[in-house]
Parts: sequence; C-alpha cells; structure tokens
Amino acid sequence: MADAGRADHHGGMTRLLRRFGVLDWGALLPVVLLVCMVYWGVRPWTWTVVIVAGVIALLAPALAADLLPVALIGLACVAFGLIGRNSVMPQGSGTTRGYPLHALIFGDGLPHVVDLSMGLVLLAFGVLLVPRTIGAHSALTKRNSELVSRVRRLTATRVEAVDTAAAELRRVERDLHDGAQARLVALGMSLCATERLIRTNPDAAVALVVDARENSARALAELRALVRGINPPVLAERGLGDAIRALALDCPVATTADIDLPGRLSAPVEAAAYFAVAEALTNVAKHAGARSVHIRAARASGRLRIEVLRIEVSDDGMGGADPAGGTGLRGIERRLGTFDGILAISSPPGGPTIVVIEVPCALSSPKTSSC
Amino acid sequence: MRVVIAEDLFLLREGLASLLKEHGFEIAGAVADGPSLLRALIDLKPDVAIVDVRLPPTQTDEGLRAALEARRQVPGLPILVLSAHVEQLYARELLADQAGGVGYLLKDRVFTDEQFTDALRTVARGGTVMDPEVVAKLLARHSRHMPGTRLTEREREVLALMAEGRSNSAIAQRLFVSEKAVTKHGTSIFAKLGLPPSEDDNRRVLAVLAYLNA
Repeated sequence: MADAGRADHHGGMTRLLRRFGVLDWGALLPVVLLVCMVYWGVRPWTWTVVIVAGVIALLAPALAADLLPVALIGLACVAFGLIGRNSVMPQGSGTTRGYPLHALIFGDGLPHVVDLSMGLVLLAFGVLLVPRTIGAHSALTKRNSELVSRVRRLTATRVEAVDTAAAELRRVERDLHDGAQARLVALGMSLCATERLIRTNPDAAVALVVDARENSARALAELRALVRGINPPVLAERGLGDAIRALALDCPVATTADIDLPGRLSAPVEAAAYFAVAEALTNVAKHAGARSVHIRAARASGRLRIEVLRIEVSDDGMGGADPAGGTGLRGIERRLGTFDGILAISSPPGGPTIVVIEVPCALSSPKTSSC
Repeated sequence: MRVVIAEDLFLLREGLASLLKEHGFEIAGAVADGPSLLRALIDLKPDVAIVDVRLPPTQTDEGLRAALEARRQVPGLPILVLSAHVEQLYARELLADQAGGVGYLLKDRVFTDEQFTDALRTVARGGTVMDPEVVAKLLARHSRHMPGTRLTEREREVLALMAEGRSNSAIAQRLFVSEKAVTKHGTSIFAKLGLPPSEDDNRRVLAVLAYLNA
C-alpha cells in the first residue's frame, strides 16, 4: 500500500507509475540512471545528464526517505565516470575522445580492451544494482506508509482518549456536585439547625441529627460508587487477576474464572481490561439470558509476536449480540484502542457468545507504563 | 476488652479510639501500617482488632493480608475488618478458615455506635459479622442461581440478618416479632436450604454464609 500523503506531491505521474507496478519517482530513478549509464558509454555528454539526474533526485523533497539508494546510485555513477575517464585519458591514441564504447564503435584508434571490459563490468554492476535499489526503495516506501498509517491511528486514538478523559472528568465533577457536595451542604445545614434547637426543642434536634447521619451515609455510598467507576479499589489493591475474580463473584449470573496472570500490568492497561470485562459481564446479565459465564484471562502471543493480555468472556446465552448496537461496547473499544487493544465478538443467533479482548502487555510509550 | 486499632488516617484512628473508650473498651495499641499491625497482633494478642483493609506502606490490601497472616499464626484471633468498600472476594478469604471471630464491615457502620460495638463484641466472642452489603450481594446471586429454593419474603429478611451475624433476639427486635417466631423462621429456612439445624448462633452464621458462598 503506497502512502496517500505523498501522492499529493506527485499527482498524476505517481498514479501512472503505480499503474505499471512501480511505486513512484524514487523507484523510477535507478532505471533512469541505468539508461544514462549505458548511453554514457556511447555519447560523452550523457555524463552531464547523469549528474543532473542525480542532483534532481537528491534534491527532490519527496525522496528524502530514499537517500540511501539514491546515494548508492550516485556513487556508482561517479565511480563509473571517473574510472572510464581516467582509464582513457592518459594514453589515448590521439583521435579517441576518451570513451571506450565510442572508440570501439567508431573505430578511431585501437579499442581499449581494458577500458571496455571495465565499462562492461560497471554496466553489469548497474544491472545488478537496479533490482536491489528498487527493492530497497520499496521497502523504505512501505515502512513510510506504515509509519503514516500508524501516525494517523495514533492521532485518532489520542483524540478519542482526550475526549473520553474530558467527558469522564465532567461526569465526575457533575456527580460530586450533585451528590456528595450537595449532601455535605445539607449536612451542614442540619447541624446548624441542631445547634439552634438543641436546648429549646431536643426532640427536633435529635431528628435533625438522625437526618444528618443518613445524609452522610448516603454521601459515602455515592462516593463509593463514584470511586468504583474511576479506579475500582480491588483493582488498585490486588491487580487485574483478583479484580476479575471479584467481578465474577459480583455477577448475578454464575461465573467461573480461569485466570493466569502473574505479576502486574501497567495500571492503565489493567483498568481498560477491567472495564472491558465488567461491560461484557453487564451485557451478559442484561441481555444474554445465560445460565453460566466463563472468563479466561492469560498472557498470549498476539499479532507480530507481541505479548498480549488475552481475555475471553463466553456465555451460554441466546447469542445475537450486536457490537454496533450498544454504546457501552463502543466505549470499551475506544478505551482499548488507546492501548492498541482490540475487542472482537462472535455471537451467532442461538449462541454461544464469545467476547475476546486483546491488549498488548507493554505500552508503546515507556513514559506512561510506570504509573 | 483490649482492642488493637489499625488505621492510617489520623482522624479516623483517633475517632475510633475515643468512640471505643466511651463504650468501655481498652485501647491496647493503635498502629498505622501493615508490618506494625502484624507485630501488634502477634505480640499483644488483643481480645479483638479493628483493621482497615488498605494500609501503608503499599496502600494496597496490606491490612487484610496482615489480618489473614495473624489468624494463620494465631487461629481464631478475633478481627473486625473495616473498609471504605466491601468485596465478596475479601469476605470469602476472611471466612475461608471457618474459625469464626471474623467481621467485615463498611466504615460507614461506625456511624451507629451501638450496632458497631455490638458487632465488635460479637467478633470478640468468636462470632461472625458480615456487612449487609456483602449479604445482599450473596442473596441476589443466590436467588438467581437457585430459583427452586422458595423462601418467603420474611424468611429472606431473616436469612439476610442471620448472615450478617445477628442473634435471634437482635433479629426479633429488628423485625418487630417475637424471638420464638424468629426461631420458627430459622428452622424453616434451614429445612428449605437443606442445612443441618443448629442452635449455636455462631455455627449457624457460618453455615448460612458457607451455603451462600458456594
């Protein structure tokens, strides 16, 4: 897949080249240079063309990534030119203009066998070089296009991560504002009224104190729920393995867990995986009509042999789960995407449903993996 | 009654200490981290300990682990675990040794000091006390799994209070019925669940919790 980013610079010509299976200008360059080298054996002025072609190639901004093959070709050209010229110049037979093929074809003076064979060796070298430089070029181009698509994906997931984090903060702020904060205000007011009534109307004061206590208990319950949604305590205290076991215990459907996760993963990966499992279990409890759920979690070898955390949540329910239907799963996918994780669902009508989550164990940025 | 308190937040530690002193408990020690808790439990052998799950230095489940370790070394050492959140997972671990003398409550429960000190005394006597939130989850899970066991609404209420570790008289008081009625409900529940009848409150709680936890 050639990169679209570069196509903007090249326009129609690139498209034309691609149609012929050549990637772009960079790939054409060795061919152009080979033609020039052959021709240079015949006509002296072609040397200039070679130089010019080399300079253009070096200056072409879109070829910046191809400096290595370009430099190789350039070096070959220069070497060819220098050897050819030097070998002829010292003892030319008078009429020869110092170019071996020219001398051979046009017969002015004795053919310089050494020069000629040198030229042929260099030509053979050129023929040898062309497929390799084209190969090197396409490898670089491919790497480039991979980098471009990686950057595009990172940009997209970063935007989503920032949006999600901002939405999350808004939710926390709103929950605190409407919940615990409001309850603490009510608590303060109850205590103030109690202070006023405690001597004159002790019964009313006691009722207010009871009220205040209930309010503080509710505030605590709300804070507890809020904390669970941000960073579940059992996850912080025990890590992902036990946190999944705790989820399995809390799930209203009979859930068994088969977990093999020694050590701790980085906290953000653990949290993303935890919420993915929590969402999957919520969906099972709500929609699947399942009698049992099984969770399997272990490290595995994933795409490109990267070590991944692989979690499978399977149920014996009615199936037919549609990943596009729920916003919950979409949110989980987004969250996993930030860590290059994926979520896949197999849920044929009639079941069973299997949800698979895979997240690379190590984050791509070491800076964030230590927290 | 000698109590060891393990709580890292100064305000809560002092609050608990003064609440307990008011109710006639003696504070044998007050510690703020896991290692010193384990030492205090083994060395002081208090009548009961109040332990916060999350303690320094790791700020993970240090307190719970120290409590479990202490009970491994001194079987049945009465410990009441307090936490800002309750987990069935932790409840299971605390109940696993079936030795009694265990409590697991939300920190909020200290708001009602009479109930809290009652719970503490129950644990010190070798009884078992579970937070209503743990019991509610156990019951919810259980009713989904075993739709066959038909308990009446009242029997479910009694079962929940039993699982929390309350005595027949406490249940009777709470539900505004006679103690005899509670005993009758208890017999009926045990028959329906297929549990061996038990007169001993403590055995009864453990049987109910083991059944619900299965």
